[in-house]
Amino acid sequence: MISGGNIVSSWDVIMENEKKDSVSEFIEGENEPAASWILFILGFVITIIFLVLYGVLFPGSDLPVVSTILPIFEGVFDSGLWFFILGIMIGAFAILGTMLTEATSE
Amino acid sequence: MGLITILMVFWLLMIVVYVMLNRGIWVFTDVTKGFSLFMLEKALGPAIDFAEGRSGSGSVAWIIQGAVWLAISSTLTFIGLWLGHEPNALHSLSAWGLNPTSESLLLAGKLSTIFGAVGMFLIGSALHIVPNLANTNLASEKNATLVSFVWALSVSIMVIGAYRPEIFGVKILLISTVINSLALIAIIVNLLLTASSRERKIAFPGWLIIIGLISFPVSTLTVVITGNITSGTGQWALVRLIGASFFLQLSGVGLYAASFGSGNPLWSRSLTAITLAGSIFTLNPIGFTSGELSAMFLGLDPSLLEPSRNDLIGGSFIMALFAVPLIALASNLIITIRGDDSFIENSDNPGIAEINFGAIMLIPVGISFLFIQTDFLSGNNELMEISSSMHLLAIWTVLVPISLGATLCIFPAVSGRNVLSANRSRRAFWMMSGGAFTGIIFTIMGDFSNISLLESNPEAVITETPNALRSLGSVIFYFVVLGSIFQCLNMIRGFYRGSKIINENSQSSTSISMKSYNLTKTTTVRKLFSKGATMETEIVPVSESEKQGKPTEL
Repeated sequence: MISGGNIVSSWDVIMENEKKDSVSEFIEGENEPAASWILFILGFVITIIFLVLYGVLFPGSDLPVVSTILPIFEGVFDSGLWFFILGIMIGAFAILGTMLTEATSE
Repeated sequence: MGLITILMVFWLLMIVVYVMLNRGIWVFTDVTKGFSLFMLEKALGPAIDFAEGRSGSGSVAWIIQGAVWLAISSTLTFIGLWLGHEPNALHSLSAWGLNPTSESLLLAGKLSTIFGAVGMFLIGSALHIVPNLANTNLASEKNATLVSFVWALSVSIMVIGAYRPEIFGVKILLISTVINSLALIAIIVNLLLTASSRERKIAFPGWLIIIGLISFPVSTLTVVITGNITSGTGQWALVRLIGASFFLQLSGVGLYAASFGSGNPLWSRSLTAITLAGSIFTLNPIGFTSGELSAMFLGLDPSLLEPSRNDLIGGSFIMALFAVPLIALASNLIITIRGDDSFIENSDNPGIAEINFGAIMLIPVGISFLFIQTDFLSGNNELMEISSSMHLLAIWTVLVPISLGATLCIFPAVSGRNVLSANRSRRAFWMMSGGAFTGIIFTIMGDFSNISLLESNPEAVITETPNALRSLGSVIFYFVVLGSIFQCLNMIRGFYRGSKIINENSQSSTSISMKSYNLTKTTTVRKLFSKGATMETEIVPVSESEKQGKPTEL
């Protein structure tokens, strides 16, 4: 027969060990779950909805903050070429990022 | 002295070089060998310790940097093409004191492609090919690695010099020439030392590369010693001779890779010899039209080309003879890739498609340049309007595909890994080849429209039609930029994470290296050839056995 007190103490030991294991390690999955893309797209859709809603609720009003920043770039990115350069910059950063991450990863 | 004299001195010097090399490189006695090796490594002091001495590391350093230059040069060319139809697109950069023009960006793009991307791919491949054909190791891997950064520095200065040739009275392109020459001499010495310790006869592709590299300084020396360096004829001839240097290297690397990548034996040694002799004894029309650039690189004032009657007739005739090595190279490349049937062998190799495309484009581009150069030499200048775009076509549909294709074939052997994805390489190939061919053809159409409009009305310089065509051409050329970035990423990732080459023999290997083949079961002659066997390979029948170390029946 096992007394009630003994059962409790054994259970405490097991719980303690489990806690130790779970605290001492960081675990990261290898693959990205498909559901995470849903959240990403949801965020994007909500942003668009917010912008549409803003246009409906405050017609003719400029967006706060954004409307004050954008005029700074007036006359700077006024050619279609800049859109292409933006794509090239993404590519350049991808090359740089790949070099850094591949060289430093184990 | 005229053009013919320059060429005769060049031919004489190249014959002397060839004889010296084939007589066992007697200039490299033990003393000079030891001294050269000392200069390549220990004389550089602590700097050499930064470089890795692992086998293949020199080649990889050149190839990866070449891939990065490919992305940069395609970007510069794309922006240059765009500014051709919208000159004020980057006017906002004037706030930083930068006023790039279409001409300066196209020149920077061409120079960075020729010396940065193509030059580094060719030398990177040469550092693998020459030791492999000589059945020995590269004399100094450390020096090869270190020098790649010096070369890249010289190309960076070249790009700055193309935009602003003179800063504070200093001629920028001259500085880049000095640094570039140092790196080139180091590579030549390294390869000569490697060739001097060869353990077997080096096949023709190896000589094409070595002689191509040596002809670069020899051509400059020729024009200097004949006293033509300040004349228009001398400067024009120098551009042609340096073009021949690149053509020789491209031929050597391309022919080796065509065999290496496809697994087929090199189709014709005679045609390879014709390519070698023909490239030296003719004038290469492909490249920059005027001799202005050679003057800029040497810090001199450009002179007007005023050829004599003899120069005109002789130059045109010798230039026309270039069709012979051109056709020899194109046919040798294509038939080597395809083997004995009409289908490309080992079509899975991403490099083979590139070489095939470059070989197909060689003849139309070369013949077009014959017309352009003859037109320029005769002083008619009716085709000058299209010469810049044709040069772009030559760079992006011949030079880049063949050098990049060869690099992709050689990459697994030097890095020990495949590129990350063969499919991505193939997609990038379609983007680059399609984008370059279509985009530049539209630009050439725009140039032709401009010629027609100028003929009808000399006042009309910019009109809607040429601009619309050029606009379309530049947008399509953007695919080349994307393809270059994808190729670059694929190679960098492949270098770190690509599938490992378990056994180098499992890859297609050049026909030149296989001396014997162990035959364990019945097979076809075709399969033997695809494994790299040649007519000279000894077939050794081996009986199967379950004993340890013996071939096992599967």
